[in-house]
Amino acid sequence: MKTKQEYLIRYKDGNLYCELADIWIDPSKPVKKALITHAHFDHFTFGCEEYISTKETAILLKERVGDNIKIKTFEYGEEFKINGINISFHPSGHILGSSQIRFIFAEEKWLISGDFKLQKDETCKQYEIVKTDYLISECTFGLPIFKWDESKKIANDISKWITNSPEKTSLLFCYSLGKAQRLLNEISQTNFKGNIYSHGSIHKMNNSYKKLGIDIKDTIKIENKKKIDELKGSLILLPPSLSKGSYLKNFKNIQTAFASGWMSIRALRKRSGYDKGFPISDHADWDGILEVVKKSEAKNVFFHHGDSQALTKFLVEKDSINVLFFGK
Amino acid sequence: MSLKNFSELFVDLDSSNSTHNKIEVLKNYFLSNDPIDNSWAIYLLTGKSNRRFISGRYLKNLFSQIYKYPEWLIDTCYLKVGDSAEVITLLLKNKSTSRKKKLSNISLNELLSKTIPDLSKLNEEEKNFKIKNMWETLPEDNHLIFNKILTGTFRVGVSIGLITKSISKLINIDEEIISHRLMGNFEPSIDSYKFLVNKNINLQELNSKPFPFLLANTIEDKIFKHSINDFQFEWKYDGIRMQLIKRSGNFSLWTRGQELVNESFPELVEKMSHIKDDFVLDGELLVWNFKEQIACDFSLLQKRINRKSPTRSIQIKYPIIFIAYDILEINGRDIREVKLENRRIELEKYFSKWQNKTDNNISEIFKICDLIFPKDWPDALIYREKSRENNTEGLIIKTKTSIYSSGRKKGIWWKYKVDPMQLDAVLIYAKGGSGKRAGLYTDYSFALWKDQELIKFASAYSGLTNIEIKELDKWIRKNTIEKFGPVRSLRPEMVFEISFEKIQISKRHKSGIAVRFPRITKWRKDKKINDADSLENAYELMKKIL
Repeated sequence: MKTKQEYLIRYKDGNLYCELADIWIDPSKPVKKALITHAHFDHFTFGCEEYISTKETAILLKERVGDNIKIKTFEYGEEFKINGINISFHPSGHILGSSQIRFIFAEEKWLISGDFKLQKDETCKQYEIVKTDYLISECTFGLPIFKWDESKKIANDISKWITNSPEKTSLLFCYSLGKAQRLLNEISQTNFKGNIYSHGSIHKMNNSYKKLGIDIKDTIKIENKKKIDELKGSLILLPPSLSKGSYLKNFKNIQTAFASGWMSIRALRKRSGYDKGFPISDHADWDGILEVVKKSEAKNVFFHHGDSQALTKFLVEKDSINVLFFGK
Repeated sequence: MSLKNFSELFVDLDSSNSTHNKIEVLKNYFLSNDPIDNSWAIYLLTGKSNRRFISGRYLKNLFSQIYKYPEWLIDTCYLKVGDSAEVITLLLKNKSTSRKKKLSNISLNELLSKTIPDLSKLNEEEKNFKIKNMWETLPEDNHLIFNKILTGTFRVGVSIGLITKSISKLINIDEEIISHRLMGNFEPSIDSYKFLVNKNINLQELNSKPFPFLLANTIEDKIFKHSINDFQFEWKYDGIRMQLIKRSGNFSLWTRGQELVNESFPELVEKMSHIKDDFVLDGELLVWNFKEQIACDFSLLQKRINRKSPTRSIQIKYPIIFIAYDILEINGRDIREVKLENRRIELEKYFSKWQNKTDNNISEIFKICDLIFPKDWPDALIYREKSRENNTEGLIIKTKTSIYSSGRKKGIWWKYKVDPMQLDAVLIYAKGGSGKRAGLYTDYSFALWKDQELIKFASAYSGLTNIEIKELDKWIRKNTIEKFGPVRSLRPEMVFEISFEKIQISKRHKSGIAVRFPRITKWRKDKKINDADSLENAYELMKKIL
């Protein structure tokens, strides 16, 4: 077995790092070269000399942080070389542009899953099964209590939730990039035909998606001075950061909900302070993670981003694969 | 008329924070379901039954057995979820693909009156098979309700008041009548529901039931502006609030929790049954120290509460007394609308009559509460301070002209409790919470100094705000010394002000003391651990009271 230092990719200062290529993956501090799996802010940091990502991720990032960053882009599946290492992006199904990253060096394959999901999502490319020797996988929802319902069912629940309270304004909180667009896409296929408003941050992302050729239902950008009566019976999409504080005072007679995988647990739902929780996630559930581990044919697996203990123990007891620890 | 409707009701009630919404949802449920299912729904929602048919542990083991799931994995999930019934429900979602059987559309009544009670008639193997079968034939949305009823953990944020309001709205009858009808043993049946929603009020049927209790509010500053003579003062006893009812010769003893407890206190029933008059008395049941004529500690009363048919020796060891402070009905005449000061006169009159005319000595088990007569408000304060000496919790202040209405009616009765005792203690252990607080460290243990050592003296889990809980949870995760199962020992660094009601010697605890109702009243970020109190300070506190 190899020592930690001999791994092609390892943890360094809390980040994934490939020493041979001197390249970091989603680093949390400025570095020379950074591979970016997707455009969520917890995977991006300012100040790197050079970023490398898919074309879509680059466009979304620039929309969010401005043109002042240097990004090199590649298509999905297109191989490029750094210090003799073959690197390529593959769809991870998390949000538009999101990717897994594969490294091949000396006939050894490494795959970083990035954030991923297997569930249907018409706003981004479906997760691609990539074969590998080493797999570094996220495990945000790495417990068997997490089993996602079809997104169509959740969308119908949301539609019912709005139409059952026609006197109210329904505020649905969700992440502005990815989740919001997926929800819009799903909700537009339900019986709910009322107005949908979205907060500026979401509206901007909707437009970016449209520019990139994704069909997103038109929404009305929410203005602070909107007449309260007009909002009755309609749906408003807002980022979770606005759920606390004075912003909600702009509305009257509201009901609130949060769309997140964590909402499948009653205690979390109750504690969240929202009236209702819709369990829908852009991460893989337990079965999803197990499926990817299996289909990737990886002999060695690392987990990060989540509580990996249970998943590790389960796989070690059940399978012959090696589940390894990075040590941070 | 199915379990499905009830599951939907549960989801609706569970995801609403608005009273108005909940009442509407309940009303609609009652309108669109059978009387029998409605009566079961009321039974469940009011928490009349929390009977546990199988334990959470059993449920988890059974799941593990059937579906070849490692138990440790289920336990890990439990730490996140905090409720066995919900863990199994979530895990069952993973199993739904294997479901081929026809889904059953069982009614709430069938489930509760037959399927589940019948489980206890089966042997273990048959029982397990039956539960497995239910899991595989019930629609997924009904699993949570099923598992919760099985484990006796069905609870939802609906108060009896809310049920009362929704029924009252449904049939357009006063809430007080409905509240009266809902008192006591509500046995689910078509008749009990029909009685509940009967638009004709029949006084005869209400005969054995207690009146809704009038509750005292926390003291308000505004009352000090009034003349002291406007109020009646009593000691606030720390016992069980009860109504003692004798109507048409039948005797019933009701707790405020609406339990009929005749069987637990046979000596009281026996003595009081000799009284010729009919009556309804409101008062407090206590274990009494007859020698010193003061109340014993609540812990002694606890030895009587849950024991049905206590033996003679238990009755002697823990002698009880009923202290009446109000009379609500006398010989069929409802006098709740009479002013308190006049009710008091009636109470005294009848008490002396009963004492003199009854053959057996009722004063061994029954008395009326002494009144206190403070000269002015500062004097009242002095009485309040003295309350610990006679083992009471403070004063009850009642407006002399008040009538006996129901509930926590504002502006008539107040409790004026003695200030809690306090010590500053160091946080040394934390444990994961359950239910609503699952996934957070919310159960804390606190220690006091003894020489150079920190000795655990109390555990508390209430008093912090949600924001503080989250902040402390973060700190706990970073400052763990050791983990023992769900418990973490912590770096001694944080000081909290702990308030409690009573302190007494306890041989069971390493600290040698036990406190009652400990709770966190302040996070003393301003204090270092050396500023925390010592066990000696605790002993001093105890001396002061004795």
